[in-house]
Amino acid sequence: MSDATAPALLAPGAMKPRRAGPNALAWLIMPIALLFALFFIAPIGLMALMSVLTGNPMWESGVTFTAENYVRFATDGYNWEVLWITIRIGLSTTIAALLLGYPLAHLMARTHSRTGHALLLIAVLAPMLTGIVVRTFAWMAILSDTGVVNATLMRLGIIDAPMTLLGSETGIVIGLTHIYIPYMVLTLNGVISRIDERLEQAATNLGAHPLRAFIEVTLPLSVPGILAGSLLVFALSISAYVTPLLMGGFQFMTLPLLIYQQISASFNIGFAAALGIILLVISMALIVGYNRVLGMLSGDSKLT
Amino acid sequence: MTPGRLAYVALNTLILVFMLAPIAIIFVFAINPLPYIDFPPSGFTWDWFRQFFTSDIFMGSLWLSLRVAVMVTVLAVFFGATASLAIARGNLPGTRMITSFVLSPLMLPAILTGLALFQAYMFVDIGRPLWGLVVGHVLVTTPYVVRTTLAVLHNFDTRLEEAATNLGASPIRVYFEVTLPLIKPGVIAGGIFAFIVSFDQFPVSLFLIGPGSETLPITLFNYLKFEMDGRIAAASVVSILISLIVVIGIDRTVGLRSYGKM
Repeated sequence: MSDATAPALLAPGAMKPRRAGPNALAWLIMPIALLFALFFIAPIGLMALMSVLTGNPMWESGVTFTAENYVRFATDGYNWEVLWITIRIGLSTTIAALLLGYPLAHLMARTHSRTGHALLLIAVLAPMLTGIVVRTFAWMAILSDTGVVNATLMRLGIIDAPMTLLGSETGIVIGLTHIYIPYMVLTLNGVISRIDERLEQAATNLGAHPLRAFIEVTLPLSVPGILAGSLLVFALSISAYVTPLLMGGFQFMTLPLLIYQQISASFNIGFAAALGIILLVISMALIVGYNRVLGMLSGDSKLT
Repeated sequence: MTPGRLAYVALNTLILVFMLAPIAIIFVFAINPLPYIDFPPSGFTWDWFRQFFTSDIFMGSLWLSLRVAVMVTVLAVFFGATASLAIARGNLPGTRMITSFVLSPLMLPAILTGLALFQAYMFVDIGRPLWGLVVGHVLVTTPYVVRTTLAVLHNFDTRLEEAATNLGASPIRVYFEVTLPLIKPGVIAGGIFAFIVSFDQFPVSLFLIGPGSETLPITLFNYLKFEMDGRIAAASVVSILISLIVVIGIDRTVGLRSYGKM
């Protein structure tokens, strides 16, 4: 997308951007504007409204405004525990995805052969093109008591009894890491491939060990990518539903699971809406941070 | 090769195994004759596939998923292509903000898109119609079409269209003979992506599926809550193969490269 300005600079008459108003094609924004107004903005606004109402004004009379749903969230220790579990799983997933994603993103950025790069890209995208439920099933089959990991370790005589991997927080984190690592790799790859490889080469030529050259040159320059990728993966993993439920063996309650429970079991729409707004606010804050980091980065590169 | 270089390659190989082996392992379980998860497989059978393809529940949800994905693809292409043309060629003010707004359903947790729509449908008391599920999918798939189409539109500047106009072509002719063929690869790529995202969609569907009309990911999920046998592996293999066929479609038409640019 950043290439858009380049050809314009080459065309002599096109130096100045045209300042004419919207033309006929501008009307084509209307379908999506209507779709989003009706089915995206309005429903989210309604969710915010429902979270501060005592009931559904279409069905009941005497519905008033209330902070009860938010007070209930803040005063019940159980909700804080749910929030803490959600954040803890999100943090572990982010760290795991960063540790595994960084080397791969680095390899991708430093692979210059077309075929090599294309193969790595396919390897990163392949998990993304497999559904969340299917991938969670794969990990259940790998980590269950008779699954790949336990069966192999027992056959080799390394362990006597199967380890409990399914139904543990470790299991959830492994599953989520696998699902969200492509986002980390693609974000990091975007940043690392902009770092001039010659900087690192200069450091090695001056006698630095390759590892030291990496730690002192490439790693600090890739901090924005680390930050952006981490914010993205954290935002994604705290809103996951399938994996925490299935990998956790119904034992771990996260915020999205609590929201679903409030709808399906308790039918408490107002409280579910309040939980939804809380998750929304956290996610939006993270995504604004992600966009700001990447925005600052593209701003920088224009200056140099 | 230096020891450092060797460690680097070995580490990356392990990471790639971590990413790809789970997908490969599903194929192993789909042909294992034992009725429970067992490793390594003790034989070979097509029986799980036979059971999958003869199950009314699985076939019903597979069929529904395909129907929904086709409807979603058509609608996402319409909304995405029109929006992209307006953004790139409409000379609108604030295109940066409009673009990020149009892409925002990708940023919002998908489960909240589902929850908000569910509450809205309940609020106006229309229950959970099939079109309501389709609309939910359209919201989260249209951004992919916008992204791929805008990428194409930004790669070609307006001078092609200006040249055609200067040579005397009418605006309608310019649109059909220059702009439309230009954006076709982007639209097709986005549409194929929309199909896969809809076909594999879980979080948006969670709140929006009607009683007795479940999509394949929802059926798989409900099944997995209680049982884990070869049928689920066979179902997974079928769903992976459908996505794979579609991805090969992308590669044949426009190439995979455009997807690396997130």
